[in-house]
Amino acid sequence: MKASIAFDFSWDEGLFERISKDGPWSNWELYKLAVEAEKLSIIPEFEGLQAPVRLPQLTPLPHQLEVARRVVENMNGKAILADEVGLGKTIEAGLILKEYMIRGLVKKALILVPASLVSQWTSELNSKFYIPAVAQRKSYVWDQCDIVVSSIDTAKRNPHRDLIHKQDYDMIIIDEAHKLKNSKTKNYEFVQSLKKKFCLLLTATPIQNKIEEIFNLVSLLKPGHLGNEEAFFDRYKKASRSVHDDEHLRELVNKVMIRNRRGDTGIEWTKRIVKTIPIEFSKEEKSLYEAISTLRSGTGRLESNQFSLITLQREACSSREAVYFTLKNMLGRKDQNSQLYEEQIHKLIKIIEEIKVNSKAEKALELIERIGDKVIIFTEYRATQLYLQWFLRQHGITSVPFRGGFKRGKKDWMRELFEKKAQVLIATEAGGEGINLQFCSNIINFDLPWNPMRLEQRIGRIHRLGQKKDVMIYNFAIKDTVEEHVLKLLYEKIELFEKVIGDLDDILTRLRLGSIEEHLADIFGQSLSEGEMKIKLENLSALSRITADQ
Amino acid sequence: MQQHEIQDFLLRYFSANSCELEENLSGKITVQLTEEIDRELMNRPFYWHYLEKTGGVAQPMKLTLITDRDAFPEEKGEFIHYGSPRLHQLFSSTKKLAGYIRLYQQNGALPDRQTPLFPWLCINFKISYKCDRKRDVYQSIGLQLINGRMVQGFHEKMLSLSLTPKIPDYSFTLSPLILPKSGMMRIQKQLTESIEKEDHSWAEAARKRWQKDLDLLLHFYEGREGTETGIENEKEALKEQYEPKVLISVINGGLFYLTENAVK
Repeated sequence: MKASIAFDFSWDEGLFERISKDGPWSNWELYKLAVEAEKLSIIPEFEGLQAPVRLPQLTPLPHQLEVARRVVENMNGKAILADEVGLGKTIEAGLILKEYMIRGLVKKALILVPASLVSQWTSELNSKFYIPAVAQRKSYVWDQCDIVVSSIDTAKRNPHRDLIHKQDYDMIIIDEAHKLKNSKTKNYEFVQSLKKKFCLLLTATPIQNKIEEIFNLVSLLKPGHLGNEEAFFDRYKKASRSVHDDEHLRELVNKVMIRNRRGDTGIEWTKRIVKTIPIEFSKEEKSLYEAISTLRSGTGRLESNQFSLITLQREACSSREAVYFTLKNMLGRKDQNSQLYEEQIHKLIKIIEEIKVNSKAEKALELIERIGDKVIIFTEYRATQLYLQWFLRQHGITSVPFRGGFKRGKKDWMRELFEKKAQVLIATEAGGEGINLQFCSNIINFDLPWNPMRLEQRIGRIHRLGQKKDVMIYNFAIKDTVEEHVLKLLYEKIELFEKVIGDLDDILTRLRLGSIEEHLADIFGQSLSEGEMKIKLENLSALSRITADQ
Repeated sequence: MQQHEIQDFLLRYFSANSCELEENLSGKITVQLTEEIDRELMNRPFYWHYLEKTGGVAQPMKLTLITDRDAFPEEKGEFIHYGSPRLHQLFSSTKKLAGYIRLYQQNGALPDRQTPLFPWLCINFKISYKCDRKRDVYQSIGLQLINGRMVQGFHEKMLSLSLTPKIPDYSFTLSPLILPKSGMMRIQKQLTESIEKEDHSWAEAARKRWQKDLDLLLHFYEGREGTETGIENEKEALKEQYEPKVLISVINGGLFYLTENAVK
């Protein structure tokens, strides 16, 4: 069957009118120029990219060019770019945006990124791609600039929100799109409300835990591509779904998503060297941990909340400050606290006051001094972060804090300070995202998140393109605690650190596990004995390995 | 298109539109816009409206355009490059301002011999082959409006001739036997026929991809009630994405009066 042929007749009338009115006719010079301009703008081939030839100073890597080509040629400019951390998704997105701008298909584009990345995106688009992107700082930018980079938190609020809705964007790019996994959030609702002619969602971790996350992401990009919510969950969330169903889901998702793994890129990567550093509690620290643990067998209000207890246990492995902060908060909710409850908390605070040293901090200090180079310390807890900053200063080590709540300018400033002045950067979880720190090659995981993907994101901050040295990863674990169990019985068994969490196929298969975090909370909360807990952990890691191998 | 070619284009655009060049360096130009071009490019309707109301003197803007950022890193001015919106605006402005033309061949005819000029209709087309991918072809077709002779690459043949907007001395134009309207239809018919004869395997391939996606979609919705709206939307999206089409638009064109043997 042949293609249909359609003429645009709008030119014809103009000619007849000019013939009958004897003009006006254009000048020959401009007429020739119009033909030349048109010849330059036409894209003579279905295949291939125009952007790379127009950007002689940029040398994209083969996998980046391939991603750009597939998005333009096969995906019609709507895609989830899900390369593993550090493979250069920004370059891919820039190439695609440039390609459409060259073809005259995109004039206005909105780029939504984490606040910490606004300046970086803006300068990369300008310097590497000649794309006149402007960082959103004032509300008039929306009207007057065609390519705007903004943080999503700014964009979703008025007056910006209304102004954005008045613009006619041809392309929307969203970095760190995994933050949109929950369809109930304001951010999700905001992005959903945007018109998406061409759209790129960038994330290194398209699925962290649950199958609905990929559903939500894909539905944002192409609503209905995976059917409606009800039907989708009916079919895919149940445990009994067939392999056949999985095949189809995978094929559908792959229509809109590209994921490169490090191994596929053919690039020589520096190594990851992982060292577990077992640490002994001091006597006082140990008694705090044990005091929390013994509450588990009690029956009071504090005991009945297994989740709080596990949180306190994990915090006790990090710093006394972290525990203290949480306990204070518990006391703060005064109205409903019984006397027994308060007594228990005060008892714990008493024990905290006995603690004189932080064994992990001592170890970190020793390690940092031995390394003698730049180090990033990751911790889950803000209280630990503050403590470490103070502690390192006492020992003459310069450090800068970093966390998600910092304003954009402050983040840039902190990164710069770390690069130029300080030896150590102490980051909390949220701060770990979206900053590129490849000039540093040492990470200390002061405590561990219970979500493997988050761990991968931490490491990805430094183990990315541009990293020249082997990357050292030091995992701290206090002996005979939940921390050690998670590290030894789960993370090490599934070879989490050496092997980057799998590609899309692996992930989809793994989904049967549900949320690792929930599994862990369940195992530590519900197990009656140490033995039972270990067996359950073994089972979880075995299950992970089996599904990964399949 | 290299940066120096862009600069060359800018110079030609502004000089063809009678804008005065105040600065012309390699990598940077400053140009004083005329009122016409200011209205065309600068998008400030309120200013012009205000002037009309108050009867003030128009002050068209100056524009500084930089094609080599490395040479002028600190200068104020718009950086123009191949993907920049301004260049696309200039491209489409050129097209808009140069849609129709009528020219006569300068033939050096002598007073004792009146030279007849034959009417030609020329149309320059952009032909876009579009499915989920897109490619374009440029084609220029000329039709002699007396004997019906059709010539490919007509525009390129005109480039070597000496042409003028006023009818030259001692020359006269022959009246067309084929009216421009039917001439236009002849050209369109000829173009349609030649495109139909082309290899359409690209369209076949697109339809196969379309069908594959459609099957996937249908499987996904299989046996489900109440999903009609969703499925119709998705089907429509697939149609827009894959349906093979040839879209033909006119870049520009017009009437050329030429000596009998001007077009070989």
